[in-house]
Amino acid sequence: MIRSRILLLAVLSLSLVLLAIFFFLSGRGETVKEPPPELGGKEPGPQPETVELKKVNLFFLSEKDGLLHPEEREIVSSPTPEREAARVVEELIKGSRQGLISPLPAEARIRQVYLTKEGTAYVDFSREFSERHPSGSSAEIDTVYCLVNSLVYNFKSVKRVFILVNGDEKETLSGHIGLTKAFLPDFSMVAR
Amino acid sequence: MSSDAGSIPAASISLLKDKWTVPRSRYRIQAGFLGALLFASLLAQNIARVRVSVRDYAEFSRVTLESTQTLTFTIARRTPGVIEVGLESQSPVHIQSGPVTSRLIRSVSMSRQGSRNILSIEGKTESYTFTHFTVGNPFQLILDLREVRRPAETPLAKPAEKKPAPTVAEKPAAPPPQDTGRPAVPLSSGGRTIVIDPGHGGMESGAQGKFGTLEKDITLAVSLKLKSLIERNLAFRVVLTRDKDVEVLLENRAAAANNNDAQFFISIHANGSYKKSSSGSETFFLNLNATDEDVRRLAYFENTQTELQGRIAADQDYQDDIRMILWDMAQAAYIRQSSRLAELVQAELNGLLGTANRGIKQAPFKVLTEVACPAILVEVAFLSNPEEERLLGKEEFQWNVAQAIYQGLVNTIREFPAGGYRR
Repeated sequence: MIRSRILLLAVLSLSLVLLAIFFFLSGRGETVKEPPPELGGKEPGPQPETVELKKVNLFFLSEKDGLLHPEEREIVSSPTPEREAARVVEELIKGSRQGLISPLPAEARIRQVYLTKEGTAYVDFSREFSERHPSGSSAEIDTVYCLVNSLVYNFKSVKRVFILVNGDEKETLSGHIGLTKAFLPDFSMVAR
Repeated sequence: MSSDAGSIPAASISLLKDKWTVPRSRYRIQAGFLGALLFASLLAQNIARVRVSVRDYAEFSRVTLESTQTLTFTIARRTPGVIEVGLESQSPVHIQSGPVTSRLIRSVSMSRQGSRNILSIEGKTESYTFTHFTVGNPFQLILDLREVRRPAETPLAKPAEKKPAPTVAEKPAAPPPQDTGRPAVPLSSGGRTIVIDPGHGGMESGAQGKFGTLEKDITLAVSLKLKSLIERNLAFRVVLTRDKDVEVLLENRAAAANNNDAQFFISIHANGSYKKSSSGSETFFLNLNATDEDVRRLAYFENTQTELQGRIAADQDYQDDIRMILWDMAQAAYIRQSSRLAELVQAELNGLLGTANRGIKQAPFKVLTEVACPAILVEVAFLSNPEEERLLGKEEFQWNVAQAIYQGLVNTIREFPAGGYRR
């Protein structure tokens, strides 16, 4: 009895070991291929020829004239405009490389971008977007139009922008500008 | 892929120019309008301009003749259906009126007999009574026509009684601007109100200066000073949306204006900017930020106002729906007057800080959207600018700001005296 049990255990453990060896040897080739540059986003390192870049113009605020100035940037292009729009917003939060001011709180994160057929982009920010905002009418106006102008300017499919905070509609950004309606762009704020 | 992104600056600029055309034409219209207003006021010295308007209310139809000069008049009912108003004036009379859509009135027409101008008001039936009264400065002659009802018919409930009294905090706390429920004699001088709204309060402190000055404290200090200036010098009642450091919902601030049937709504704020060197005072009025859909909606309401009023009065359910939609854009009906008020207040503020004329601006301020009277938001100075933060904390500067806003308000009232802003 005991002998046959030991034999059974030995056979089972041997087959387990064999299975494990088989698994590691045969499975390797496929798992390496898997991670796509698409989802990784930030590191387009391994296969540069498959990553297509798209040139965009971001609008930042100038300390000199108080107007919005375009700054060219390259983002990883994506089949959906939603994903590209989210990348544009991420770049806006990261800030200017030419010493211009980004009127978006640095702590804010983009949660999601939805785009309707009618051309309204719903941009959903984390709560820091309004909580870390310095408040003040001019500051809020600059935040809104830096974002709205950048999105409408770069994406033909975006006609207006509705700002959400933490998944919800918010009454005002930080006490002044109402967020209960979609914004049309205002290019009169852009430097000529 | 990147063809629409404008990869070189020149291309981006030309693309921008295309998009500029829309807002620019809007300004042109506004400028044209102001020009026309100025021109009209110049002409008014010699010619009596009379504007005739017809408006339906729940229980009567009103014909209003607004004139730039006081007129002597005679009123007679020549035939059962027609009222003739004879107008006499030392200077030539110029009458303007639009097409009439009214439940009771078929037409309003003008004719001349020698030096007399005759305005004929033709009723749709012969069974109506009318009353008339006049209001001073600017001269207004008002005729109210009431249908004589057969006794079997139940009269419509008075809309004034439909005010949602029990739910004070709720949004439609007062009738919207196009509402039928204006009292029969709204132009009497008594009980004129100005609502002053000190921004923020309580937990919500607004912008903050480098040295710790809070927006909510500055707004209250300036508002209290403005209140005392108005009460000391003008025959207006002043209502503050808050008189201490408490939080007030934005919708209740608008309701304070609407419940009190306010003539003016002035929201006081202190600015904050990402641009550290920003300085000076700015006066804002509402930018509707209207999408195509809103514009269509607004046009629809303007075009079918009279018809809607009949339906609103008749159907309770419908009334609630329409009210909510109208509330959404209560300020839309007052944009022009708000812009003029902003202009006159800003003109006074410009001198104060010695800054270049910053002009008036439009922005989608939440607090202004539901206010059903001329409404502005004054950004006194920048808390984000250390020099101005120091100024804002000074009593003397606060008095100067209050005085400037007061003066702008007085100039506005002078330009549009009693009732000029009300419909």
